[in-house]
Amino acid sequence: MPEILITLLTIGVVVAAIPGVCNYLILLERKLSAWMQDRIGPNRVGPMGLFQPLADGIKLLLKEDVVPPHVDKVLYVLAPALSVFTAMMAFAVVPFGPVDDSVPGFLRFIIAPNINIGLIFIFAITSLGVYGIVLGGWASNNKYSALGAMRASAQVVSYEIPLGMSVLGLALMSGTLNLEELMHQQTQGGIMSWNIWFQPLAAIMFFTASLAEANRLPFDLAECEQELIGGWHTEYSALKWALFFLGEYTHMITISFLTSILFLGGWNLPFIAEATSNYPGVWLVKLLVLSGKAFSFICLMIMLRWTIPRFRFDQLMELAWKVMIPLSLANLVMVMFCMHFGFNRWWLFVGSLGLFAAWGVISANLREAELAARPGYVKPKKKAPAVAHGHGHAAGHH
Amino acid sequence: MMDWLQAHPMTVVGLVLWAVGVLWLMPGKQAGSTRPKIPGLLLTAAGLFAFCLSCGKPQTQLADEVMFWVFAVSALLCGVLMITARNPVYAALWFALATLATCGLFLLQSAPFLAAATIIVYAGAVIVTFLFVIMLAQQSGAAGYDQKSGQSVMATISAFILLGAVAMTLQQEKLEIGVPVVVAKAKETNAAVAPSPPNMSAMMQASGSGSPAGLPTAPADAPEEKPAVPGNLLSSADPDHAVGDLKGLGRSLFSDYLFAVELAGTLLLVASIGAIALAPRREQGAL
Repeated sequence: MPEILITLLTIGVVVAAIPGVCNYLILLERKLSAWMQDRIGPNRVGPMGLFQPLADGIKLLLKEDVVPPHVDKVLYVLAPALSVFTAMMAFAVVPFGPVDDSVPGFLRFIIAPNINIGLIFIFAITSLGVYGIVLGGWASNNKYSALGAMRASAQVVSYEIPLGMSVLGLALMSGTLNLEELMHQQTQGGIMSWNIWFQPLAAIMFFTASLAEANRLPFDLAECEQELIGGWHTEYSALKWALFFLGEYTHMITISFLTSILFLGGWNLPFIAEATSNYPGVWLVKLLVLSGKAFSFICLMIMLRWTIPRFRFDQLMELAWKVMIPLSLANLVMVMFCMHFGFNRWWLFVGSLGLFAAWGVISANLREAELAARPGYVKPKKKAPAVAHGHGHAAGHH
Repeated sequence: MMDWLQAHPMTVVGLVLWAVGVLWLMPGKQAGSTRPKIPGLLLTAAGLFAFCLSCGKPQTQLADEVMFWVFAVSALLCGVLMITARNPVYAALWFALATLATCGLFLLQSAPFLAAATIIVYAGAVIVTFLFVIMLAQQSGAAGYDQKSGQSVMATISAFILLGAVAMTLQQEKLEIGVPVVVAKAKETNAAVAPSPPNMSAMMQASGSGSPAGLPTAPADAPEEKPAVPGNLLSSADPDHAVGDLKGLGRSLFSDYLFAVELAGTLLLVASIGAIALAPRREQGAL
């Protein structure tokens, strides 16, 4: 089949599948949160509430499309479209299944194969994703929306730096930015060559920073129901609102696939899907393995949302600028050192743990020093029960 | 200078028309005085059209050609719309679009890394910061000083003289650099011009009327231009111009231009230290 037909087919399948998948992810999120909070969750529509997403979709489609009179109409309509567009564009270079000879010719599990700058392309496109939020917030002409938009822009610009720097070490180690190549290197070597062994710290930082990029809790200060009503999407309803969420969930899917591909060896799984395994239908197993890894990351994100409370804004900024950026720089220097002097890669594992521990000690000391510098600070006595300023969080009102 | 002006009437006419159109579109000295936009838009479009005609056309395949014109014209148009927009948010957005269109041009020149980096830095960070500042500074609509432009005549004239100078340089470049490249390719010698970046001269053919007739073209028996590598634009770095390739770029930056890179880095470091030093401290009442 000619290349262009395959590409069109892949695009069609992906564009058709992603909204459906996102719909069911929302159901999953509601069910998981219900399970975590000892509730039942949606169970009215269909068996076990399985048709709830369809009902929601129909409701969002048929709902009256309200455009408030005080908004900037062009940007108000443009913002949700931009949100979905950038999220979908980023997915174009992510392989969502095996990309090798085992796949039958008419199938291809990536929209745009062989992109040398794959990772940078994703960062470039996702960095445009903030326009949807910023413009939506500004066009709504509403103080809560504007506050949400401003928080979003500061947050996304800050977290782009650790996001990019955390995978620099990986790129240096593997010598490529091509996602297929990165996956190939890990799948050929088996589980002991998964990048998470050599870059555990980078994996954590990458995942955290991408949560912040996707505006997921605990980083959803742009939305922040308790303070800002809905933040940037306060004025949105019906399908435009749904588009924002389609963008967010597409972003989640992209992040999950990326984390699985970059750090967890892609479709590689011991005994089941190895580089040497060669039984009929192996491509389907590989596809399922990779999707399963991505799915577990999505579940992790959802469970994080219902576990960790939201950051305060200054904590958010401190995490990016005082913790993650220096740490990712140190990680990069460590990789350079190891590469240059030709040390065994496993030293990176030890080094990452050491860095993590060292940074924990340093930040605890810094935090104590910062608290001590505040006026009216009473040093907590040792072995005494919690005193007024014991927690530091409560003392943070300026 | 005068020779050039006489030799390229189309460029000059285009530039003048374009300048008048932009001048018309710009807000006047008094806040709120708005002229009808239609004549300005017409003039700008006519000038842009004439200017583009005078640039000659890129000598590539049809798809590339179409994409070149789409990106080039939208970059120029977005630039005009950026400086004439009355609302600063829209101006920032047109700036972002102009950046994206320029990145499209980079892609056409087989410089995918440059394109992606420009998107990250400009569209992704710088313009978002602009938007951030605009939103912080203007809670209640556009301020009066955004409705008028102080030195519109001087600004337009100087900007278009600059643009004319760039156009002139490019047209001359075509004569001076373009010829050796063509000759070198024809003779298949590995001349000193090998690392020439994929510049405009490589893209543009000499415009028919303007160029001297003596411009040598590649003889018929010369090897054909290497056909473009099939595949997508984001990955097919032209092997003749390894500069756009990630490895080539990195090697070039950290060997040939090491001093400049370090200097620029130091400059940025000094600027950020200065910003931190200037910002009010917490004890002085900020946050």
